[in-house]
Amino acid sequence: MTSSSHTHGSQQSNRLQDGGRIDRSKTLTFTYNGKQYKGYAGDTLASALLANGVDIVGRSFKYSRPRGIVAAGAEEPNAIMQVGATEATQIPNVRATQQSLYDGLVAGTTNGWPSVETDLMEYVGKVGGKMMPPGFYYKTFMFPQSMWETYETYIRKAAGLGRAPKERDPDSYDKMNQHCDVMIVGAGPAGLAAALTAALAGARVIIADEQSEFGGSLLSSTETLDGKPASEWVTDVVKELATFDDVMMLPNSQVNGYHDHNFLTIQQHCTDQFADRAPNGQVAQRLHRVRAKWVILATGAHERPLVFGNNDVPGCMVANAVSTYINRYGVVPGNDLVLMTSNDNAYRTALDWHDAGRNVVAIVDSRKNPQGTLVDAARERGITIMVGSGVIDVQGGKRVTGVSIAPLNDAGDEVAGSIVKMKADTVASSGGWSPVIHLSCHTGARPVWNDDILGFTPGATVQKQLTAGAINGSFSTAQALLEGLSAAQDAVQLLGLTEVEVALPVTEEITESKAMALFHIPHTKPTAKAPKQFVDYQNDVTAAGIELACREGFESIEHVKRYTAMGFGTDQGKLGNINGMAIAAKTLNQTIPQTGTTIFRPNYTPVTFGAIAGRDCGALFDPERYTAMHSWHVEHGAKFEDVGLWKRPWYYPKANETMQDALNRECVATRESVGILDASTLGKIDIQGKDAREFLGRVYSNAWAKLPIGKCRYGLMCGEDGMVFDDGVTSCLGENHFLMTTTSGGAAHVLEWLEIYHQTEWPELEVYFTTVTDHWATMTISGPNSRKLLEKITDGDVSKDSMGFMDWKTMKVAGIPARVFRISFTGELSFEINVQANYGLHVWKALFEHGEEFNLTPYGTETMHILRAEKGFIIAGQDTDGSVHPFDLGLSWAVAMKKPFSFIGKRGMQREDCVRPDRKQLVGLKTIDPKVVLPEGAQGVLDPNAPIPMPMVGHVTSSYWSANLNRSIAMGFVKGGLEKMGEKVFYPLADGRVIEAEICNPVFLDPKGERQHV
Amino acid sequence: MSDVTLETPEEQPIKLVENQLPDDNTVGDKVVGESPLHHADLDSIAQKGPQEGGVYFREQKLMGMLTLRCVPSAAQQKTIKSLLGVALPMEPLTSVTKGEGEEAISVRWISPDEWLIIVAGDKAFELESRFHEKLKGHFSIVNVSGGSTIFEVSGDHVVDMLKKSTAVDFHISEFPVGKVVSTVFAKSGAVICRIGEKHFELVVRRSFADYLWLWIQDASREYGLAVKA
Repeated sequence: MTSSSHTHGSQQSNRLQDGGRIDRSKTLTFTYNGKQYKGYAGDTLASALLANGVDIVGRSFKYSRPRGIVAAGAEEPNAIMQVGATEATQIPNVRATQQSLYDGLVAGTTNGWPSVETDLMEYVGKVGGKMMPPGFYYKTFMFPQSMWETYETYIRKAAGLGRAPKERDPDSYDKMNQHCDVMIVGAGPAGLAAALTAALAGARVIIADEQSEFGGSLLSSTETLDGKPASEWVTDVVKELATFDDVMMLPNSQVNGYHDHNFLTIQQHCTDQFADRAPNGQVAQRLHRVRAKWVILATGAHERPLVFGNNDVPGCMVANAVSTYINRYGVVPGNDLVLMTSNDNAYRTALDWHDAGRNVVAIVDSRKNPQGTLVDAARERGITIMVGSGVIDVQGGKRVTGVSIAPLNDAGDEVAGSIVKMKADTVASSGGWSPVIHLSCHTGARPVWNDDILGFTPGATVQKQLTAGAINGSFSTAQALLEGLSAAQDAVQLLGLTEVEVALPVTEEITESKAMALFHIPHTKPTAKAPKQFVDYQNDVTAAGIELACREGFESIEHVKRYTAMGFGTDQGKLGNINGMAIAAKTLNQTIPQTGTTIFRPNYTPVTFGAIAGRDCGALFDPERYTAMHSWHVEHGAKFEDVGLWKRPWYYPKANETMQDALNRECVATRESVGILDASTLGKIDIQGKDAREFLGRVYSNAWAKLPIGKCRYGLMCGEDGMVFDDGVTSCLGENHFLMTTTSGGAAHVLEWLEIYHQTEWPELEVYFTTVTDHWATMTISGPNSRKLLEKITDGDVSKDSMGFMDWKTMKVAGIPARVFRISFTGELSFEINVQANYGLHVWKALFEHGEEFNLTPYGTETMHILRAEKGFIIAGQDTDGSVHPFDLGLSWAVAMKKPFSFIGKRGMQREDCVRPDRKQLVGLKTIDPKVVLPEGAQGVLDPNAPIPMPMVGHVTSSYWSANLNRSIAMGFVKGGLEKMGEKVFYPLADGRVIEAEICNPVFLDPKGERQHV
Repeated sequence: MSDVTLETPEEQPIKLVENQLPDDNTVGDKVVGESPLHHADLDSIAQKGPQEGGVYFREQKLMGMLTLRCVPSAAQQKTIKSLLGVALPMEPLTSVTKGEGEEAISVRWISPDEWLIIVAGDKAFELESRFHEKLKGHFSIVNVSGGSTIFEVSGDHVVDMLKKSTAVDFHISEFPVGKVVSTVFAKSGAVICRIGEKHFELVVRRSFADYLWLWIQDASREYGLAVKA
């Protein structure tokens, strides 16, 4: 920020000389909509904009009307900013009222296309007030449907919902799990009193607040506590809380969600409160995932603006927000104030304005005879009070210039006299306070209307939740402090801790007269014809719109909400919902409790995707599992394939080789001499116990009773429905000891399956399962020279006579104790060598040291797939899909129907549907043109000339070019295929070709199995 | 009964027990195993990298690990105690540790019928064999030394790092020294044992070790990470 050429001459014209919690010695420069401004440390973006006299912060969603800052906290509906100095650091939907100012901050309006000052949409808005009546989503844009995309683009652009960065976010985000005895939401008087009470009793406390400082309303209050400014008490309490090890204080932290079982999510701004980009190593935002034994909601209340004509013109603000800007930030956002109120409390705003040396034009009180401490204070200052009146509309376009004030009748629903016009640039209004019940609603509690406070309070809850302060409608500081203390004492008791006495500060005595139930200020014209009276600024919902919705028959408040969009989106009805419900109630001629309320959902304010993603992105998005030989594969140029979470070598291309070249070379080398595969990823389960064999017999479809020690057997695992879900080889290690292997992706599921059946169905069987997948490194050498290679580096006898097909033995390989299994997935003479994984790479390398003379060739999963397909071996998950049983696969030999005990899937595969002769059955497929490779997934038909929709008979599951056979090979399902050997099947493709194939035995190579029996 | 109880009268082995480590006599130079983080060359990082940090990391390499599964009877518990030198921790989520260096043994409760026994790398086979010799009744003991490794993490911010990784409550009142949990850690899992107020051991699966090492580096970044040899 070196250039000052763009800075304004009149800096911070609305800033007071002194007062507030800002640090005037620290000037900060920031950029808003391309212009530079100055503010002070302690400012929010909103307070700095107001200090600089910036009136317009956006354009409204539907009508494109200029909008200004209305509130000072999370409830702000208009000042929704796009923040970020660079493309990569863009954050949309930031509330200017919640963004701390920092040097170099760059912000722009989210709404307003092409610019907020002169907006093309404004013409539409002014001329076409009726262009977008309520329900426009349903009425206008649903018809004609073909136009929706056009409308959508237009709406999105015009509505300006913010935008995501186009570049990768350089910051890191984080999630953290927290646990506590008491989670306190909100650090105002109630929250602080609760935190102190709980902390003194020894509870583990978390207290979070969305603002950069703790204190809540006390930060902007002129009240005294113990005769001193309230903020001094705040400072003392915060200091004291900091001395407790078990108190976690989270400022800049919005509790955004309150979920079941007292689980809360908090978005903490760690560095984006003071920097565009997090300093190196630091985390920009953190999502705390809190599990609390007790929750105390001390979320306070939002002041309700009153609804009147043109109440969205910049300069119309919520009364308390005006006070906050004056008292906390030393900013008076105007010169001439009109305050309209239905209660005593809002008089404070007029007093603050007056005491700041600016002109209070009038207090317009809807009540006939207001009395009380604050009313007296206003009278003492000589402020004009117009009783029994309301501001029915304001004048001005980009800023309020004047107001129309009229007497109201007793009910406040009709104008009862002539209009007085007055000049003013600011209209503060207060219709009372709405407890912030959003979080209590998140867990399903229905709010309850309270006539005494004219607001909804939290309803009954099943959560371990307490509430304190303004959320209960207890709006006075004295009451908030007391309820904070008492809620914490309750929590302390419920936690079984010992209560400690806590002294509360002495508050001022204030008397107030009763507030009037007033939401919507009447106009001389009917609502539909009066100047627009906004209820929900963010969604551009007006009083007229709500009346129209009710007239059109939307009587349920939930329907009114959806028809008008009131309380939608990021706003969640913070300012407007109660006013909207009151207007609907009045229109429907019923009470507010009869009308009911919509409820609120998480999240309370928008959460960045960064905070939700946390560290689970980039290289850490998902785990990558590596075998002990992974570094070798990387060094030797392997391409990898994801199998479950495993990175498995897919193929090993040499320089200039295409994938097919590499596969051809790997396939031929293996069948001609010897290839090697890293098979470590296969699931391996150690099974021990005297009933292990019986257990195997029940979970596999085939027989295990007679498998001798030293032998291996292939098994099929089926679900209760009889459908195959996994397969593998299981070896008998000892009379009561087996080693089961599973597919790479199915290992965890199979182990769970075994445990579930053992624990729930057959706990009487003495058997235990232990995963040893990671413990063993497994390498398969396959091919006619595999024995010769192994003999070079083993002390074991691996001759045909000593070690037959499907035998296993222990021996040393390259000096390392190994279990060697003579099993084969290629149909070649094969040895699967297993060594303790810490020695896997050593043995792998030793095989290569001795393998050169045999052209030992590493091959990956793709060659493995081709070689097994040449033999017609299935891959569970590729040639099965949960809808095929062993007979469909032609594997009837792997089903032993006569086992004494049943087995899982036995009944399932005997269902009527499972024994139909025309089921889809797995067969081999030979294309008539041997050079053509069928696409996997292609659907077969028996008659290529049949009219569309053609009757389909099954799809291709596996299809490859076989270099060994110099032709294509495939497997696939064909209805009744096992009885159709030699018949033709046709595969019409999307590109118009029709591939003809012959149904055949899936064993394409060495059907007698001579190669593996050598 | 003979001194080898593994065999039935027909000389059929009931269970297979084999030493899975190479011995010095087989090859000229003893082959040294490679731990799951061998490729990360932690020794160099320990030498050249930062010496101070909010989190310290060390891989306890090549330890011996056995998974014991049983629902031990009183008699079995007695035998197991004599084999381990410590009583099996029957209280859920607890562990028992005894001895130093080569003689150290740590037994960690995993589930109501499962324990993880950690000993020096070259002690596992001997201990496994003695279980088969001495322990009667139904049980299973499996050498899983190659399948896992142990991450030792410590430092002032170690709990913060752990809180980013798992939902377990690490407050000392809830998670005292000696407590052990098997839980989700990042998107993998770990058996976490507190061995000091700011000192934990994580038993992690071999194939996930690299992912978890990356994760811990990333999660520790804001506190500073120092690797120990």
